[in-house]
Amino acid sequence: MPTPTRAAVLAGFRDAMLIVLGYIPFGLAAGAAMAQTDVHPLVSILGSPIIFAGASQLVAIQLLSSGSGIALVVFSVVIINARHLLYSASMEPHLEQWSRGQRLAAAFFLSDPVYALAVSRFEREQGAGTKPEQLGYYFAAGMTCLLGWTGLITIGVLLGGFIPPWVPLELAIPLTFLLLLLPLIRDRSGLVAASVGGLVALFAAPLPFGFGLMVGAIAGLIAGGIVLSRTSEEHADA
Amino acid sequence: MLDLLAIVLSGLATYIERVIFLVTKKVRPPRKALRYLPLVGPAVLGAIAVPGILAPRGELSLVETIPAVIAAVLAALLWRFTKQLVIALVVALAAWWAMVFVLVQWGLR
Repeated sequence: MPTPTRAAVLAGFRDAMLIVLGYIPFGLAAGAAMAQTDVHPLVSILGSPIIFAGASQLVAIQLLSSGSGIALVVFSVVIINARHLLYSASMEPHLEQWSRGQRLAAAFFLSDPVYALAVSRFEREQGAGTKPEQLGYYFAAGMTCLLGWTGLITIGVLLGGFIPPWVPLELAIPLTFLLLLLPLIRDRSGLVAASVGGLVALFAAPLPFGFGLMVGAIAGLIAGGIVLSRTSEEHADA
Repeated sequence: MLDLLAIVLSGLATYIERVIFLVTKKVRPPRKALRYLPLVGPAVLGAIAVPGILAPRGELSLVETIPAVIAAVLAALLWRFTKQLVIALVVALAAWWAMVFVLVQWGLR
């Protein structure tokens, strides 16, 4: 392997390991939460390499445990993961030079952290690098996140029953999402979308089957969208 | 078995959401929606994060909400100044544990 490509692979591995470290509390807490349900532990663990999107995996397992039908589970996962449509659209120009097979494989890894890593790498000042470097970075980061995440969930599921109830982990998940959210807020419309989405989701939380999350997200989208269209009108006037 | 089927179908649906604009140049996001797509991330992540911070155990109360909000503000500040996810998360969690510990000692929780 030529040296620059090897360096890109190592950079992908290193950056992703940092993310996996950050996911330790969330991964263990999510695994432990799955272990509290009636769903078979193996199904909870397999959700990681199959779905590879943390929050939706947890919701899917909790819905299954509460006896929801397959259609509702798949529908909820589709709604929670709707942001991946954005990642797909956003990555398209970056992967233009890649073969279709490479793009189809890349899509499998396109979760929150891998998207965040790939976008910041491909948009950095030194440029995206040669195609072998891009491929090396992307798939090294993707594999590391996939294996690391599956490992964390597995440990969490297996140890779930053993984590003493007095060790409070509730805040690990919302804090991790808050930290993933912060870099995404770039202007007032993003701030409004996140705040309104969060507050509506809080008051809609009593709704069954995690619908509070969807109601909140849709309210946040509408509120942020109104701010965004107002802002652009001001610009149009000026 | 049905549980596993639900997970496999969920994985398939998630993959379709990730691959949809990477298959062919003919499929592009609608121009009108394109502007609003960047709001999806903040709206969804806000809907996940905010309720968990304001009501960590599913209820709004001074003893539960205040330590969690302080930890969240601390995490945001640490991220702002270090850009290190790990540091922000670990320090904020440790601070939250310390606050919970003190509240338990005082018999408030």
